[in-house]
Amino acid sequence: MLELRDVTVPGRERPRLCGISLSLKPGERVALVGASGAGKSTLLGVANGLIQPTSGSVQWFGEPRLRRRLRSRIGTLWQDLRLIEGLSVQHNLNTGRLAAWSWWQLLLNLLQPLESRACAEALAQVELDASLLPLPLSALSGGQRQRVALARLLRQNAELLLADEPLAQLDPPLARRLLQLLLGLATPPRGLLMSLHRPDWLEGFDRVVGLRHGELVFDRPPEAVSAADLEQLYS
Amino acid sequence: MSPAGQLLLPALVLLPLLALLPAAWHGGGLDLIGQFLLAAVQPSTDPALIAASLRGIAITVAVALWSWLFSLLLGVIGGVLSAEVVSRTLWGCGWPALLLRRLLAIPRSLHELLWGLILLQLLGLHPAVAVLAIALPYGALFARVVAEQLDGLPRRNLEALQLAGAPAPAALLMALSPPLWPQLLSYGGYRLECALRSATLLGVFGLGGIGADLRLALQSLQFHEVWTSLWLLAAVMLALELVLARLRQRWLEPNRELLVGFAALLLLLLPASQWLELRWQVLFSPWQWPEVLPLWDPSGWLQDWPQLIGSTLLLTALAALLAVALLPLLLLLLGPGRWPRLLLSACGLLARLLPPPLTALLLLFVLQPGLLPAVLALGLHNAGILGRLGLEGLDALPPQPAQALRLAGGSPRQVLLVAGFNGIGRSYLSFGAYRADVILRESVVVGLVGAGGLGVVLLESLSSFAWGEVLPVLVVYAGLTLVGEQLADLYRRRLLSGPLPREGCQG
Repeated sequence: MLELRDVTVPGRERPRLCGISLSLKPGERVALVGASGAGKSTLLGVANGLIQPTSGSVQWFGEPRLRRRLRSRIGTLWQDLRLIEGLSVQHNLNTGRLAAWSWWQLLLNLLQPLESRACAEALAQVELDASLLPLPLSALSGGQRQRVALARLLRQNAELLLADEPLAQLDPPLARRLLQLLLGLATPPRGLLMSLHRPDWLEGFDRVVGLRHGELVFDRPPEAVSAADLEQLYS
Repeated sequence: MSPAGQLLLPALVLLPLLALLPAAWHGGGLDLIGQFLLAAVQPSTDPALIAASLRGIAITVAVALWSWLFSLLLGVIGGVLSAEVVSRTLWGCGWPALLLRRLLAIPRSLHELLWGLILLQLLGLHPAVAVLAIALPYGALFARVVAEQLDGLPRRNLEALQLAGAPAPAALLMALSPPLWPQLLSYGGYRLECALRSATLLGVFGLGGIGADLRLALQSLQFHEVWTSLWLLAAVMLALELVLARLRQRWLEPNRELLVGFAALLLLLLPASQWLELRWQVLFSPWQWPEVLPLWDPSGWLQDWPQLIGSTLLLTALAALLAVALLPLLLLLLGPGRWPRLLLSACGLLARLLPPPLTALLLLFVLQPGLLPAVLALGLHNAGILGRLGLEGLDALPPQPAQALRLAGGSPRQVLLVAGFNGIGRSYLSFGAYRADVILRESVVVGLVGAGGLGVVLLESLSSFAWGEVLPVLVVYAGLTLVGEQLADLYRRRLLSGPLPREGCQG
């Protein structure tokens, strides 16, 4: 579903990514680890089409161009969530349907939020109650917002799930639960590529990709990642 | 309902307007409208005309600057004295402030054009009269904003200074002026832009400046001359907006540079006013009061009030809805790209530049006099003002939510609708409510195209010196605008849970 070959993204002092090759298949769960500035967010930016590499190639679902139809199959869980303030939880969830809906549905939804049942189901999958649907976003806690952002991905019905350090600002128990949720969602046809700030949470991933100064240092199963490997990344 | 939904609903106003169109359409001057639009790219370059236009603009700018300075003075004094916190600190009770606030509602309730028409009956046709006509309602409005801001400031610092034994006036000055300053500066700058528009409008009604030139040129169908004046006025307006934006960033707190700036402005204005013949002495000449006190004439009170008030409210509602609806609708139709936005910005600038009575006159080339040209004239003018705010609001939104939606497959229009309109929805609608309040006051300025309502009766009775009719209609009109102001405030507070929008302006 995602194939990067020799991808390079230039930076001011040194390349933000340098000759990275990486692939992700349906059902795979891949963790990106590395110190700050290693290139994790840049790699995720290339994967969701935000950043254009200067050399190398990217293929999404076997296609080299990211058309709108394809974009709707890629869902990103952003570190800053990118929910729309001032809208209700249900309206925010329905922004995930933007690419799928007709204009008529879109306009109707602005007047009265549609598909309440599907929204409630999406909330249930992220362990939130349907009573939150009519609430404004401002009424939610940080953890609830995080899960609403995840439920929006579910509403989008995305297959390629990208997550940029989504656990960074959560307390450890909540972060663990969200991580389990994300890993549970990544069953075929979905796949997960996620950057992690804590290398001790690699359990449940199929592969771990280590980045350092924009270069790929290793790409192996978590059980094969040694303390020395991690030491090398964070030193 | 989502903010974007609330933003799009006013577009339904197009249905009744389209329904009114067949009956109002005569189309006789369609070729004149074509000539007018064509003349935009062929303005007259006659040096004598350009010199006359520049002088007209200089008079309008001088009127705007003087009226703005006087309104600042009135506003700051009136605002400080009508702030409850000041009254309680100085005199230990709040009622003097409340009383003054009620009194200031009277000059605020009448549009500057009405003040202009009343004052010109008493003083004659002079630009100096326009200064007074703008300064009175603007000063009262500014006073209200100052008082509201002062009363809304936290009082901990004031209490601390008083408990430490500071005299009340010094404590007030030290504790309240620093947080008040940036808000005053920002709001004061917007008032200057409004004053320029108002000075142009009063010129249309004979009080001198570029407005008078525009009206004369339009009535004699000299469209090339109209566009010469309009382009020059547009340049001045753009330059003013640019300078004010810069100054707002530079003068974040009172400093010597600001004082020097004001002093330089005054030094420049005094000889310029002499040269432009503003004739201040007319304000001090004997006023020509009507011989009979008009309120004693009971026949003036015998009007068909429900019909007059109903027509005024209908005109206000339709024009306000049109003004709110146009930007979102046009953005959705044309798309959110750079060129459509540039086109909309240019059209918006022209719409807010051309005073509504002149737009109404243009519309009379193709429409019968009545409600429709009045609604369109007021709606388009205010859409120009609201449109600028809307586009600025869209530019100021954080780009991340829109980017996320775009990357998730949303089209540019869908992203605009969901991230853009929902982002600006509340502030745009809040300002729309404020404009509705302004349109209610402005309804009088399109009286000349026979829109009906209190505005027509007022203009007719003023021009025929029928003072027996003027005062009752003025009283009802002022009452209506004050009720409208309260309702608009209520709606805005519910929408925003905050004070007046800083962009709020009457002109």
